[in-house]
Amino acid sequence: MSEKRTLLIPLALMLALTLLAACQPPTTPSPKKPFAGTALTLASMSDQYVAAFRYLIPQFQKETGIEVTLDEMGYVDLYAKLTADFVAHTGQYDLMTVDIVWTGEYAQNRYTLPLDTFMARDSAILAQDDIMPVAWSLGEWQGQHWAYPLAGYANVLNYRKDVLAQANIAPPATQQALLAAAQQLTHAQNDFYGIALLGAKGPAVAQDYMVWVQQHGGSLLDEQGNIAVNTPENVEILQFFGQLFAYAPPGATDYWWDQRETAYRSGRIAMMEGWSIARAGYEDPKISNIVGKTAITLAPVAQGVPPRYGFGGWGIGINADSANAEAAWEFIKWITSPEIQKQWVQHQGAPIRRSTLTDAQLVATYPWFTTLLQAFEQGDGNYRPRIPEYSIIQDALGTQVNAFLVGQLSAQQALDRAQMQIQANLP
Amino acid sequence: MKRTREKHYLLLLTPLLLLVLLLAIYPLLFALGISFFNYRLTDPTQTRHFVGLANYLRAFHSPLVHTAVINTLLFVAGTVSLELLLGLGMALLLNHENKLIQLIRSWLVLPMALPALVVGLIWKALYNVDFGPLTYYLKHLGLNLGRGPLGESHLALPAVMLIDVWQWTPLAMLIFLAGLKSLPQEPYDAARVDGANSWQQFWHLTLPLLKPTWLILLLLRTMQGFKVFDTLYATTGGGPGTATTVLNYHIYTQGMVFFRMGYAAALANILLVLVGMLAIFYIILLERQRQ
Repeated sequence: MSEKRTLLIPLALMLALTLLAACQPPTTPSPKKPFAGTALTLASMSDQYVAAFRYLIPQFQKETGIEVTLDEMGYVDLYAKLTADFVAHTGQYDLMTVDIVWTGEYAQNRYTLPLDTFMARDSAILAQDDIMPVAWSLGEWQGQHWAYPLAGYANVLNYRKDVLAQANIAPPATQQALLAAAQQLTHAQNDFYGIALLGAKGPAVAQDYMVWVQQHGGSLLDEQGNIAVNTPENVEILQFFGQLFAYAPPGATDYWWDQRETAYRSGRIAMMEGWSIARAGYEDPKISNIVGKTAITLAPVAQGVPPRYGFGGWGIGINADSANAEAAWEFIKWITSPEIQKQWVQHQGAPIRRSTLTDAQLVATYPWFTTLLQAFEQGDGNYRPRIPEYSIIQDALGTQVNAFLVGQLSAQQALDRAQMQIQANLP
Repeated sequence: MKRTREKHYLLLLTPLLLLVLLLAIYPLLFALGISFFNYRLTDPTQTRHFVGLANYLRAFHSPLVHTAVINTLLFVAGTVSLELLLGLGMALLLNHENKLIQLIRSWLVLPMALPALVVGLIWKALYNVDFGPLTYYLKHLGLNLGRGPLGESHLALPAVMLIDVWQWTPLAMLIFLAGLKSLPQEPYDAARVDGANSWQQFWHLTLPLLKPTWLILLLLRTMQGFKVFDTLYATTGGGPGTATTVLNYHIYTQGMVFFRMGYAAALANILLVLVGMLAIFYIILLERQRQ
C-alpha cells in the first residue's frame, strides 16, 4: 500500500465519524426540559463544596439538558476574575458563587441580577421558610436578593478531645479561657501548639481578626455606619489577637486557610476556630491524623459579650450580563431545593436549610449538626461589614494587622494606618 | 530608482509598523491619558473625572509607594549583582567541553523553563517553617528561623531575592558562556608569552573583554527585576506587612484589586520612567564601549 493511501484511510474514517456525529439530533427544548441545550458557565470558589458541584452537575445536566461548565478558582483569583468580567460586561460567567461579604458591592454596582422576581414567581416550590433566617444574609442587601443562599458556614471552635481531657481542661467557653488553655497546651519543644490561626497578609488575617472583633463585642463601623477601625476597643482586641499568636505554630503569621487546616489535621494543634465546612474532613483518614479525636463547640465570646456566632459562606448569583438568566435560575432552584440539599451536604456541601440540619440520617452521620444548628440560630452574618467598601477594609486590615503580628507596627499604629489606608482608597 | 525602492520597502513595512503602533504605542498613550483622570472601573457609571497631576502627587506623597520604591531598588540591586557574579563564576567553571559539563549545563537551564508562578509556589512550600523540607533541615542545624524565611520582616526580601537568583542565574551563565566562547584567542597567547598568570589573564583580559556582555545582562536583568510580580504573588503577597511590596505589586493591587485605573496608570508611568532612565544609561554605556 502506498504512503498516501495509508494516510488517506484514517483521514477518511475520521471525516466519516465527524459527519456521523454531526448528524446526531441536537438536544432540543421540550416541555419537560425547556432549557435543554443551553450552556451555562459557573465560577466557583475552590472550597470543600466544590466537590458537591462536581458530583451534582452531571445529574442536573441529565435532568434538564442544561450543560454546566464549572470553573474552580481560589478566593483572590475568583474575586479579581469576576470583577473583571462584570466591569467589562463580557458575561463570561452566567453563575457565580458569591462570598457573603461581596453582597453590598455586587448590589450597589448591580453586578448580579436581583432574584426577587424569580423568587416571587416560584415561591410555591422554593420552600423558603425552611432556609435558616441567617442564611439570607448570604445574598440580601437592602431588602433585595442579589445572590441565593448556597452554603452556610458557622465559625466554631474545633478542639482535640484527647488533648484537652489529658490536660483536664474543659472546652473553653470564653475568650479568656481560650487564651489560658492555648497557653497551657502549648509545648513548643515538642512541636505542639495550643491554637492555629490565620496570619497571612491579605484576606486571611483580615478575616480572622474580624472574627475576634466580633467575639469581643467590637465593631468596624461606628454608630452612624462609618468605617472606624482604629477605636481603642479594636486596638485592645488586636492586642489580644496578637497574644494568641504566641501559642500558635511559628509559621502561623503566614497561614492561609489551607495551611491552618493542614496544621490542625496534622495533629500538632490543640484548638482551632474555623469554618464548620471543614469539620467532616477531620474524619477522613486520607487527609487527617486526628480521626475520632476532635470535636466542635460554639466559638467562645469574651466575658460579658452576648453570645453571637460568626456566620459566613457563599450565595450563588446570576451575572447581570448573562444571556441565560432563566436557565441559570433553574440551576439555583435545583441545587438549593430540599431534596438536592441532602445530597449536596452528603458530598461535602454546607447546609442552609433547617430540614437538612435536622435530618435524622444526616445528624447520625454528622453529629455536630446539632451544634451547627445552634450556631446558625444565633448567627451573625454582619460581623464582617457587608458594605460596598468591604474589599477596601479587608485589604487595609490584611496588610496592617499582618504588619502588627510580625512586629513591624504596634497595635495602635497598625489600626491607625489601616484607617488611613481605607480613607485614601474610598471612592 | 533608489527612492522607488525605498517607497516599496516602506509600503511592505507599513502593516508591521501599524501593528507596533496599535499594540505598543497606543496602550502607552492610553495609560498616559488616563493617569490624569480619576477613573475607577468599579464605579457603575465608569465616569472619568479630570484630576490633572493629582494621581502623581498622591503617589509621591504615599508612604506605601516610598516603601515599594525602596524595596524595588533593593530587589533589583541584590538580584542583578548576585546573578551576574554567580553567572560569571558558573560560566567560567563550565567553559569546557565534555559530556558531563554539557549535561550539567542543560540541567542548570531547567529553572528558567519553569513559570515564575510555579517556582514561587515550590519555594513557598520549601520555605514553610512548619512543614517545609528546607526549614526542617535548617532547624536541625540549629538555626532559629522564627516565623520562617517568608514570615520574618528582615528575612522575607532576601528570601524572595534568592528565588529570583535561583531561577535567573542560569540565564546570566548562558550569556556569559556565549561571551567567553566569542573572545579572541590572540590576546591570551600574547599574555602567556609575556608571562601573565591565569589570574592576571582573567583580571586584565577576560573581564574587560566581557564588558559588552556585562552591560547587556545588566540591561536585561534590571528591566526584568523591576517587573517582578509572579514570584511575590505566589509567595508573600507583598508581606509580611509591606516588607516585600515592590512597585509592580503595588500597581497590581491598585489596578486589579481596587480597579483604580487612573492611579495605577500613574504608578505604572513612574515605573516606566525609572526603568527607562536606567535603560538609557546602560545603552549609552554600551554605545561608548562599542565606539
